[in-house]
Amino acid sequence: MANPEKTFRACVLSVVKHDYLPRAVAAHPRFELLVVADDADQPDWVHERNQRFADEFGIPYVRDVAKAIAEHDLDLAAVSSEAERHCDLAVRAADAGLHVIADKPMSTRLSECDQLVEAVQRNNIKFLLWNRNYLPALIQAKEVVQSGAIGELHAIHVDFYFSKDAGPPKGARQPGDPPINWLERQIEAHADGSDGGVGIEAMGELQIEGIYPLGYIRMLTGADVRRVFARTATHFHQANVDNNVDDLATVSLELDNGIVGSLCIGRIGAASHPDIGEIKIHAIGSRGGIVITEARPEVSIHYRDQPPLEFKNKRIANENDFLLMDDFARALDTGCEPILNARGGRDIAATVFAAVESGETGQPVEVTPLK
Amino acid sequence: MPLNDNDSLAGQSLGQATTTKSTEALFTEQANDFDAVVIDANPSQAASLAKAATALGKPTLVGQLPGDLDVLSQADALLMPAHTWRFLPSIQAVKRSIDAGKLGEPCLLRIHRWLPPESTPESIAEHILPDTDLACWMFGGAPEKVWTLQSAANPDYIQFHLGFANDGMAMIDIAGSLPAADGYFSLSMIGGTGAAYADDHHNMNLLYSGGQPNALRTNQGRADLTGQLQEFVEAISEQREAAVTLADTSRAAAASAQVIESAQTKQVIEGKECN
Repeated sequence: MANPEKTFRACVLSVVKHDYLPRAVAAHPRFELLVVADDADQPDWVHERNQRFADEFGIPYVRDVAKAIAEHDLDLAAVSSEAERHCDLAVRAADAGLHVIADKPMSTRLSECDQLVEAVQRNNIKFLLWNRNYLPALIQAKEVVQSGAIGELHAIHVDFYFSKDAGPPKGARQPGDPPINWLERQIEAHADGSDGGVGIEAMGELQIEGIYPLGYIRMLTGADVRRVFARTATHFHQANVDNNVDDLATVSLELDNGIVGSLCIGRIGAASHPDIGEIKIHAIGSRGGIVITEARPEVSIHYRDQPPLEFKNKRIANENDFLLMDDFARALDTGCEPILNARGGRDIAATVFAAVESGETGQPVEVTPLK
Repeated sequence: MPLNDNDSLAGQSLGQATTTKSTEALFTEQANDFDAVVIDANPSQAASLAKAATALGKPTLVGQLPGDLDVLSQADALLMPAHTWRFLPSIQAVKRSIDAGKLGEPCLLRIHRWLPPESTPESIAEHILPDTDLACWMFGGAPEKVWTLQSAANPDYIQFHLGFANDGMAMIDIAGSLPAADGYFSLSMIGGTGAAYADDHHNMNLLYSGGQPNALRTNQGRADLTGQLQEFVEAISEQREAAVTLADTSRAAAASAQVIESAQTKQVIEGKECN
């Protein structure tokens, strides 16, 4: 076991998206942020965001990833770039001997996920894909399932509806207007935190958020998904229509051990829920079932002149980010695997890609196993 | 309303006016003693009784019809199949929101229905018919594509997709394997501009009597039955078609058959629009 008093030294490789990931690293007492780094050939908006974050934390921003790694005696890298660069940056960090924490989704291509799994194994480093498996309700769900209270798990369903808007609603584009540019829309969305799909390559809701509910299913079942059938559609947002990516999907899942599951996922618009969305887990076992609301515990706050988009029910006691970092520190200390490692993240990505393909073909699709 | 002798106890509790020795006698000798017929018989009897009643020109409310409804297709009087599940106050509230345009175009219907074994119908078709009907009703048509998944580990479980026009989709899971006690029902309708959630989970109270608290589901009573009967009576008095028609039952039965066909063949079933 490594020294449990050791503080792990971290770099941030690009911080263009939500910055919850590098902030969680900085907030945990076992980790220390030393430098932000990115490639010099990145566009100005990327450099601006990286510089802003570095300035806030009083650390340097280096426009050369290899140089930053070489000069700072680092233990790990936190990757929070556009999705299409996640794997490239993570593999480069792994090849430099750094442990890696990466934001979701793992990649926009399954082949890159495979390369990342191989790089993690080859370099014998630890990898954590960011997830929500330490939300209080998920901890409770895991305890119930593992206690045997509902018997052997037979079926699991996750409904995952985010009630955020995503730019103009479907049908908003006037005749003659150009289609919405995905990257420009995502850059604008940074201000309100709805830029989960930031990048050049457009991604549907399955690709952007599917990691979370599929992460729940993987944690609670401990099983791999073997085959999927999906329907995908674009019902809510003009940016999704213009870029031909889903904002609503239903997916049937066939898992190992005869377990079946399903996922309904969508970005259904702010008008459709009083809070961040309706997110629930239904699990059926041989001796009973359990219904879990992901948002709980929460507290309701209502007041005169309350802004219409302010959530009336606020989540409380959410220590997910801290516990993820705890989990990663434990992995580094003991050599155990993090709660969602590279192999798990890759298999979730494979499930998502299979679902997207099924939505396009209208037929069930086998999930591509790791070679 | 007269009832068969065999139902005398039930009839007395309903305040019956008279009795009869047989349905044949009822329909031939006492036809002038009643204005309408409500049939609660097994499916094989229900169709012939409904045919006889409507042949007399009696408005008829009939439950549990068989799969083959051709025998009733030329009914001579108002014939309302009992789709009691549509008349639950929660379901009515959701449907009214759709009809009023508050939710926009229906996009996704999600249903979780869990039942203890003793309340689970024996036939898989009966098992799934209420929810296929709800889906067809809310989307206003029959599914264009059907996919079903069952659990090898749990034969009392079924999950199915129904794909509707305009990228509408329904995803439904039904389990008949809960321990004996209350069931659970959750329905979410996600529309283009709004959503509705009718969910037992939202409607639980708590009982503290030591140990973990017990959840007590608030009860909608039998407002479904009274709502259905009210619609039957209003359709008669207003001399209009009932809100539920034989075509609705046929459509739901056909969709249910496709669900079962998909389960048996493990294939996507499509292109069988039947309404």
